Amino acid sequence: MELRLPSIPLNQTVELIHIDLPAEQAEPLMERGVLPGCRICPVRSSPSGDPIISVDGALLALRRETAACLCVRLLSASGVTSLQDAS
Amino acid sequence: MAGVASPGCASCAEHRTQSLVRLGLSPDRWDTLIALAGNPNTGKSTVFNALTGLRQHTGNWPGKTVVRAEGAFEHAGKRVKIVDLPGTYSLQAGSTDEEVARDFILFGRPDVTVVVVDATRLERNLNLVLQILEITDRVVVFLNLMDEARRHGIGIDPAKLEKELGVPVVAGVARQNAGIAELIATAADVSAGKRKTSPLRVVRYAPDVERAVSELLPVVESVYPEVPNARWVALRLLNADEAVQEAVRSGELGQLSSSAGDAVPTIPPELERQRLLEAATRLRWDLPADFHDVVTQHSYEAAERVARAAEVSGLKRAGFAFDRTLDRALTSRTLGFHLMLLILAVVFWITIQGANVPSSMLAALLIDDGHTWLKGLAASMGIPWWLDGFVLDGVYLATAWVVSVMLPPMAIFFPVFTLLEDFGYLPRVAFNLDSLFKKAGAHGKQALTMCMGFGCNAAGVVATRVIDSPRERLIAIITNNFSLCNGRWPTQILIATIFIGALAPASLGGVVSAAAVVGIALLGVTMMFVSSWLLSRTVLRGEATSFSLELPPYRPPRILQTLYTSVIDRTLIVLWRAVVFAAPAGAAIWLISNITVGGGTLADHLVGWLNPFGLLLGLNGVILLAYVVAIPANEIVIPTVLMLTVLTTGVAGGSGAGVMFDTESAGATEAILRAGGWTLLTGVNLMLFSLLHNPCSTTIYTIFRETRSAKWTTVATVLPLAMGFVVCFLVAQVWRLVGGV
Repeated sequence: MELRLPSIPLNQTVELIHIDLPAEQAEPLMERGVLPGCRICPVRSSPSGDPIISVDGALLALRRETAACLCVRLLSASGVTSLQDAS
Repeated sequence: MAGVASPGCASCAEHRTQSLVRLGLSPDRWDTLIALAGNPNTGKSTVFNALTGLRQHTGNWPGKTVVRAEGAFEHAGKRVKIVDLPGTYSLQAGSTDEEVARDFILFGRPDVTVVVVDATRLERNLNLVLQILEITDRVVVFLNLMDEARRHGIGIDPAKLEKELGVPVVAGVARQNAGIAELIATAADVSAGKRKTSPLRVVRYAPDVERAVSELLPVVESVYPEVPNARWVALRLLNADEAVQEAVRSGELGQLSSSAGDAVPTIPPELERQRLLEAATRLRWDLPADFHDVVTQHSYEAAERVARAAEVSGLKRAGFAFDRTLDRALTSRTLGFHLMLLILAVVFWITIQGANVPSSMLAALLIDDGHTWLKGLAASMGIPWWLDGFVLDGVYLATAWVVSVMLPPMAIFFPVFTLLEDFGYLPRVAFNLDSLFKKAGAHGKQALTMCMGFGCNAAGVVATRVIDSPRERLIAIITNNFSLCNGRWPTQILIATIFIGALAPASLGGVVSAAAVVGIALLGVTMMFVSSWLLSRTVLRGEATSFSLELPPYRPPRILQTLYTSVIDRTLIVLWRAVVFAAPAGAAIWLISNITVGGGTLADHLVGWLNPFGLLLGLNGVILLAYVVAIPANEIVIPTVLMLTVLTTGVAGGSGAGVMFDTESAGATEAILRAGGWTLLTGVNLMLFSLLHNPCSTTIYTIFRETRSAKWTTVATVLPLAMGFVVCFLVAQVWRLVGGV
C-alpha cells in the first residue's frame, strides 16, 4: 500500500521513497534536502492544515497539495531504533 | 578563423575587466576578485559584512540578497574586491538568481570563490559546493554557524571535509568574526596559486554518458574556444539546460567570455552555433531517458557521502527545543493568528506613538523656525516675492513636510520590522497566512511584502523580489498599494479623530477612532486578497505554484547593527526618493495657487471644475485636486487640503496662497473643514479614498523599475483608483438614499 505524507501522524519519522511531481517542481524540494531515501518527520501543522516537516535538521513548510505528492514508507522497527541511537 | 582569439588574450587582465563590466561589475581597480556564494540563509551576507566592514543588511529570510552587492578591502597591501552573489540552492534550476550566480562564477572568472556553508545543514549545502567545484578549482569553503551546529549537537571535522572536497575549508562563526581572518588568508593563498586545490569532481557518470561528453567536448571547444569550462558546458547541453542552450543560440556564451577589444566578431557564425546544438541534441538521443535524474541523483549521493565522512559522531543532539516551543505558539492553529495580529498591532502602535514627538520636533525645526528664518533671510536680501514664494513656500515647504512627517515613523517602523525579520518571525507570518494567499492564487511570501507595504509601498514593491514566480510576483506588486502605508496613517488618524471619534462620548473617542483606522487597514488587506483573487482568475490566470518555505531557526536579533543598517538601507533610500518627488509637487501647489487667470487662481478654477465630480463621490473638488498634486507624496494631502480650503472658500486662517500649513490642533482643523462644507460622509469617504487610490509617484516609479512594463505599471496605478471611485460613489449614493447628509 502506498503511503503519502498527509496520512502520517505528527512526530512519526518516515522515509521518503519518491516525489510524485514534475522535475521542475520536485527540484526545489530536493535542493532543500527533501530527497528520496531521506528521513522526514511532520512536526506541526498550520492553522489551515498545511504541514511543517523536519528534514535534514531544518524545518520546511509545505502546502498540503505538495505534501500529498510525497510518497513515504514507515521505518522498520530496526530503522526506528537506529534513528534514536543517532539522535 | 573568425571568432578564435589567441589563448593569451583570454587570460589577460584587460580582457577580464571587459567581461566583468558586461556582467554589471563596476570597473574600478583591484588585485584580487572574490565571489561569495552560498545557500540562502547561511549567513552569507554576514560573512560579506565581516569581510568588508560595509554594513549591508542581512535578513533571516531565505533568498534575501537579490541585488548583487560589491565591497572591497585591503589584504597584505593588495586591493581585494568581493562580490556577494544571490543566495541559491543550486546553479541549475533556472531562476534569475541562479543564473546571476552561475554566470558570474563561469564568466566573471573570480580569482577565488568562497562558498559559505551552513554547518547545521551540511549535506544540503554541499550540493551547491559540488556544483561550483564542477565549474572552478579555486574554491574556499567557509563552514559558518559552527556555534549553532554545536548547540544542536552536530559536529563537523573541517580537516576531514577539506580532504573529501579537495579544497580548503575554514570553520568559523561570522557573526562573532571568528574564522574571518583565516578565511581571508586562505582565500588570498588560493587566488595567488600558493595553495593548490584538487577539487572533488564527480567523474562518475556511466560509460555511455562519458562517451557522449567526450564526443561533444571538441565541438564546444571549437565553437567557443574561450569558454573556461567546456566539459561543464557539454554536460549542461546534454542535460538540455535551457539557459545554456539559449546562451549558445544567442551567442551570448561567447559574448560574455570574450573581449570587447577584439577586432574579430566575437559571436561565432550561426551555422557553427547550430552545429553545436544539433550535436548535443543528437548525442542526447543515445542517452538513457532518466539521464537528468541520474546526474542529479549522483550529485546528491556524493553530497551525502561527503557529509557523512566529515561528521563527528557521538555528540548529544540538543534538538531545537526552544524553536519548537516558540513555533508551537507562533504557528499554532488557535493562537498563531491572534499573536500575529497582536505583534503587528504593537509594531504599529510603537510607530505611531513613537513618531509623534520627533515628528513635531522636526516640524518645529524645519517648518516653524526654518521656514520663518529663510523667509526673513530672503526678505533682507531683497529677493522678489515670486521667487521667494516659489522656492521657499513651494519647494522647501513641501520637502520639509515630507521629511518631518515621513522620517520619524519610517526610522521606527523599519528597524522594528527588521528586528522581527532578523529574529526569524516573518517566515512564520508567511506560513500562517499561506492558506489565504493560496486561495487567492498568490504566493505565500506575499505576506512579507504586504507587511512591508504598511511601512512604505515602494519598499514593499522592491521586497517582492523574494517571490520567484513571475505571475505571483506581479500580483504582489499590483496589490501592494492596498497596504495602508506610513504616509497615509496620519491622514487616517486625523480624519477619524475629527469625524468618527467625535460621534462617540469623549472618553471613548480615542478608542473609536483607533478602531476606525484599524478597520480601514483591515479593509485594505481584504481588498488585497480580493484583487489578488480577481487577478489570478482573469489577466494573471494561473494556479498557485507549489510552495515550500524554509522556517529558519530563531536567531537573537542584533539590535545595534539592525538599527544602523535598516536606517541606511531602507529609511534613507525611501526618504530620498520621496524628497525628490515632493519638491516638484510643492512647486506645483504654489504655482496653481498663485497664477491668476480671468479673475481667479488656477486652483480656484480647478477646484470649481472638479467639485461636481467630487460631490458625486461624496468628496469635494479640494480633495480631488489635493490628491492630484499630492501624487508625489501622500504626506502632503492634509496640508494641501487645508491650504486649498482656506484659499477657495475664504475661511479665516492659513498662511497665504500656496503656503501649506497644519493647524495647532485637530479642533482648528475641524473648524476649517466644517467651514469648507465637510460632513461625516466627506470624512468617511476621504478615509476610504486615502486607502483606495493610485500609488504615490515614488511607488509608481518603483513598480516601473521592477516590472519594466508600462502596461503593468498602468494596471497597478489605475486599478486601486478605479476601485476608490466605485467604492466612494456607492457609499455616497447609499448614504444619501438612507437619509444621511
